[in-house]
Amino acid sequence: MTAFILRRLWQMLPTLLGVILLTFFLFNFVGGDPAYLLAGKISSPEQIANIRTQLGIDQPVYVQLWIFIKQVMSADFGVSWSTNEQVSQIIATRIGPSLTVLVPILIIETVLSVALALGVAYVRGSLTDRSIMIVCTIAMSVSLLVYIIVGQYALAYKLGWFPVQGWGESFSENLLRFSALPILLGVAVGIAPNTRLYRTFFLDEINQDYVRTARAKGLSENTVMLKHVLRNALIPIITNLMIYLPGLLIGHFLIERFFSIPGIGREVILAVERSDFPVIKAITIYVAIATMFANLLADVLYKLVDPRVQLK
Amino acid sequence: MAILLSASALAADPAKVLRVVQPATDEGFDPVRSVNYYSGVILDAVGERLMSYDYLARPAKLVPGVAESMPVVTDNGKTYVFKIRKGVYFHPDPIFKGKKHELTAEDFVFSFKRFMDPKLRSQWKFLFDGKILGLDDLAKRAEQSGRFDYDAPVEGLRALDRYTLQIKLAAADYNFTYILAMSAMIAIPREAVDVYRDDLGAHPIGTGAYMLKEYQRGRRVVLEAHPYFRGFIWDAEPGPDAADRELVASMTGKQMPQIGRIELNYIEEEQSRFLAFMGGELDIVHRIGGLAERWRDGKELKPELTKLGITRQDMVEPETTYTYFNMRDPVVGGYTPEKTALRRAIIMSYDQDAEINIIRKGLAIQNKMPIPPGVVGYNPNYPAILHYNPQAANLLLDKFGYKRGTDGFRTLPDGKPLLIQLASEPSSGSREFDELWRKSLEKIGLRLEVKKGTFAENLKAAKACQLPMWGSAWIADYPDGDNFLQLLYGPNSGQSNNGCYDSPVFNKLYDLSHKLPDSPERNYLYELMSRQVEYDGAWRFGVSRVRTDLVQPGILGYRKHPVLHAEWKFMDIDLSARKAAQGAAK
Repeated sequence: MTAFILRRLWQMLPTLLGVILLTFFLFNFVGGDPAYLLAGKISSPEQIANIRTQLGIDQPVYVQLWIFIKQVMSADFGVSWSTNEQVSQIIATRIGPSLTVLVPILIIETVLSVALALGVAYVRGSLTDRSIMIVCTIAMSVSLLVYIIVGQYALAYKLGWFPVQGWGESFSENLLRFSALPILLGVAVGIAPNTRLYRTFFLDEINQDYVRTARAKGLSENTVMLKHVLRNALIPIITNLMIYLPGLLIGHFLIERFFSIPGIGREVILAVERSDFPVIKAITIYVAIATMFANLLADVLYKLVDPRVQLK
Repeated sequence: MAILLSASALAADPAKVLRVVQPATDEGFDPVRSVNYYSGVILDAVGERLMSYDYLARPAKLVPGVAESMPVVTDNGKTYVFKIRKGVYFHPDPIFKGKKHELTAEDFVFSFKRFMDPKLRSQWKFLFDGKILGLDDLAKRAEQSGRFDYDAPVEGLRALDRYTLQIKLAAADYNFTYILAMSAMIAIPREAVDVYRDDLGAHPIGTGAYMLKEYQRGRRVVLEAHPYFRGFIWDAEPGPDAADRELVASMTGKQMPQIGRIELNYIEEEQSRFLAFMGGELDIVHRIGGLAERWRDGKELKPELTKLGITRQDMVEPETTYTYFNMRDPVVGGYTPEKTALRRAIIMSYDQDAEINIIRKGLAIQNKMPIPPGVVGYNPNYPAILHYNPQAANLLLDKFGYKRGTDGFRTLPDGKPLLIQLASEPSSGSREFDELWRKSLEKIGLRLEVKKGTFAENLKAAKACQLPMWGSAWIADYPDGDNFLQLLYGPNSGQSNNGCYDSPVFNKLYDLSHKLPDSPERNYLYELMSRQVEYDGAWRFGVSRVRTDLVQPGILGYRKHPVLHAEWKFMDIDLSARKAAQGAAK
């Protein structure tokens, strides 16, 4: 296992280099020239040239690339071009609020959808199964925006069960008071597609020979479902979960915007609007690294869940 | 409005907490670096400029700010001398080590020099470029040496004594006092720059009525009354608006500022702002036009809101939207009769009423000249010559040889295909305008191609005179027509004149207007310039948006000013009225 992890970590380096190259060339050749935005509404060519010099974007491409590589290696992306705030400070202060909302959503949504999927898979073809699948299909067809707008209006404003928006000073206040409705809506949106997806994973397992054998041995239905079916279906579920994990780092723009959560999602959008490349580059690199680690974690979890899996 | 200085103690009541909102985040509060409106709001509250505006006078009227009086102007409008009030102190801050720090003329000299420091890349630099004697030379030396020498004397920017500031201009500029009234023109102490350096944007130390207490960028700003602020007695003449009289009656004679604390939250989404306001979390909600159906019944405020004591304030923003034609473009550019006819036809085809009524929900007014309402030089009776008239536009194109092909679309007079290109951004808002343009142009047989690009890409192309047509907007930096007409001045091509319009007639009139102070003669020149722009079809004049603010009961003295960003020091809160209203709402 240790050798496998070390080998995978080593393999991340060329992947990271590829991400650096892709990010660098995408932003440099597709992202537009930030000097024009930073120069303001009335600017002379000299002023724009001065800004380009200060930002270093008038340097040869290989020099800019080397600076970027050094930034990645030192995890120091400098300051935001638009606010002069340290990029590390921006990420450090915004990631907390995003995770306060998104981690509970991921956990609750996963637990509920796994439980629900296991239940409906068990009663496959029944009225309950069909009813839940119809509800899931309808729920999936409704845009997240509708959930947010209606939820905020009805549950927060009209019924007063939650604050309309806001963010406080303490973690507990933020989690229990201000994040409650965003979490509820996030779970409501995510649970339907995941239930459908996980149901298919469980159905694949229920029809396997080992399930029939387990039942023939006289094992209880609880043991069959929770010990055998669930465990074997966990591998695709883990794969699905690991895909979501890196997304935690980029927050949830819509939820953050509507509920005034000072998270990273709003910052990403702002940075894109302002061509604030240091912020965008930093977040892109961090998400890439998180994706690589999530993949590694998935492989390790496969082994823990199913000892038959060989890590090579 | 006459603001009388008061010797009495600070009146601000800490229990009076005003809860306000902004729809977008600031960019910090370093006056040199921060250009967005929302940074300006805080700069207005924490800082003071030499010049300011009368609170109620409309159109906006300059009054002395932290200057004792209006400047003494000599040397044919080239030398300004300001006497700065004595006993004006900066906010208390650890950098002053417990001592009160008085504002002096040197603080303004230092603060103005910063705009030209190349390292600070100020977007306001254009306001000083080529204006103050010796300042450009200092900036050039800094570019060469890599260090801006703040101690170097500048001929045109001198503190004659502790309280006297002299500014010598290279040429007469009758709008210079307007520039000195802008939010960014506050004085900041050199000590703050030396200590906070790149983090100055989080430490705006000024002499204004409020000081920064808490700052979480993109989330929340809390201001508290400045303990050393000299205060003033509220004493204003009501403007033409009938509601002004009630406002004046409720405020006259009060020791200001009354409000002790201001809590400003950032709520980006309009529905969230509106619901937070309706739920009593906010005292004022600004620019709520996008949700007009929620608060408006016909043209009036909904009865249920009126019943709650909520009031509405409308104000035409001192801004204009416009669509420019690139005069160097091979298709729509040029000054030949057939090119001018093509542009005029395009202008006459555009259904402005549809834009106002459908896209802007009736919350905008059409502009007939480049200068919008509320800005010096605007003439509500200006007789525009280009109106919405697709029929006349068709006849014009027929006359100049733009023949229709078998597909119904016109060709160029030489028979080559004619394709009108419009730059746009990939957003849902832009899509609505793109569609309106497409429908409008199809009515006169013109084929439209919308070229999408990010704002940054379009801006770069615009500066290089490479966008054939692009819609834009300009908000007054200062309320004089010059601020809008400079967008059409030939030598400003590549800077602010993105259409690269270069009319010798317009340029000559513009130069002449610079030699005149605010006067009927100068306004006449402004109208002649507007006429020349119409004649050449260089711009399609757009709209000024109508801003609607909703105000909770108990909030006194609020009148949105067209230029000032923050009105808080002129306001008060009737706590009992607010409490009663909140009880009624529940």
